[in-house]
Amino acid sequence: MDISQNKPLIVVVDDSAAVRDFFEKVAKSLAIELQVFVSAADAMPYLEQHQPSLLFLDIIMPDKDGPTFLQELRHDVRHENTPTIVISSKDYAQDRIAAKELGVMEFVAKPMSTRTISDLIVKFAGIEPDSATHE
Amino acid sequence: MRGSYAAPQKSHLGVGGNTSCVEIRSGEHLLICDGGTGIIPLGEHLVKEDELSEMLVVFTHYHWDHICGLPFFQPAFSPNWKIKLFGPGETADDIENRLSNQMKAPYFPVETETWMADIKYLNPAINGVQHGPINVRFHNVHHPGVTYGYRITVGDKKIVYVSDNEIDFLKSSIEHRYDEFDEEEHQLLQRIENEERTAELDAIRDCDILIHDAQYTPHDYAKKRGWGIRATLTPLILLSMPMLSRCISIIMIQLMMMKKLMRSIAIACRSLANENPLWNVTSPAKAKQSNYRGPFAALVRQD
Repeated sequence: MDISQNKPLIVVVDDSAAVRDFFEKVAKSLAIELQVFVSAADAMPYLEQHQPSLLFLDIIMPDKDGPTFLQELRHDVRHENTPTIVISSKDYAQDRIAAKELGVMEFVAKPMSTRTISDLIVKFAGIEPDSATHE
Repeated sequence: MRGSYAAPQKSHLGVGGNTSCVEIRSGEHLLICDGGTGIIPLGEHLVKEDELSEMLVVFTHYHWDHICGLPFFQPAFSPNWKIKLFGPGETADDIENRLSNQMKAPYFPVETETWMADIKYLNPAINGVQHGPINVRFHNVHHPGVTYGYRITVGDKKIVYVSDNEIDFLKSSIEHRYDEFDEEEHQLLQRIENEERTAELDAIRDCDILIHDAQYTPHDYAKKRGWGIRATLTPLILLSMPMLSRCISIIMIQLMMMKKLMRSIAIACRSLANENPLWNVTSPAKAKQSNYRGPFAALVRQD
């Protein structure tokens, strides 16, 4: 958790501008700090300095794919156990297995509802259920 | 080419019976895309050539039909060759492990240690892989496991090779689960779908040659959704044709018998031409006037 913000830090790595808006909509109803990055290269410098409470990661991205990025991230001792959720339109069993082998806690297939995402943030980011108000 | 498995049976003859392998040459520089069974006869041919001794082989992914020819690739067993290998993976070691595992016991009698060529596995690079004048850039495509499509540039010529790609998967997922979402979510999901499609089109934009899978008929695809390969080329090509400025060639990767294959292609061509006035369907005989040399119906741009 990012102590300076005093809120759970949620990091999203997804090249979709619509997904960014999707998470911003979710964030309005939760007491969280949200940071969204459009690529692995974009996110890496930030993650070298910050420890998120929860990381959402897309699979198909313009430069590095999500699993390869997470594999690289896991080499960093600070991110060995960073709670991670994969969110992707690639709803294939083999991608779910590969994600699980990288310690991913949940695999969310696109399309997803805002309720699904907010429930996962409440569950994994240490938010008390009372502070989570669904629209 | 054929997808999934080689098809040497009589009913399938007339179009390539081997699994994925594409040879691209620029002068004395050789690029090979994928190492399916097609790389076996290619290797037999290459060892007889005097002027070549180096090559780059790129793999879209490591499913059997894309690597199963590699254990029989003669240049790898010859000390006269330098072979660079590239594919999905975090490091060169990842690529080596994935390619060499199929030759370990109990799957194969000899391992890659028996290769006598100068083998080099390449680390990923943001700017792609350069082999002489050939630049090869990868992008991620929609297929189980990490899978690359390749954009190959030589001078002003561009080839896009995407062997396995289940395009429009998100669109059908949204259609299947339409009732789960409210209006605002529908708008956001529609935007996400549009962005994915735009990214797919950007990957093939302005290419001179598109090599893409089209393994299933719509009927077959209904039973194989989730296998990572799309039904016919229609959805992608319908979207891409208006923006393609030059010719487009398509290599069909099919399991079908020839008769069914020819019928399917003719239907797809008519469908595409109906949606795109710039393109006309032509018979194989007439298409030869446009330098087309295939047994199938073809699309010819009219401007």
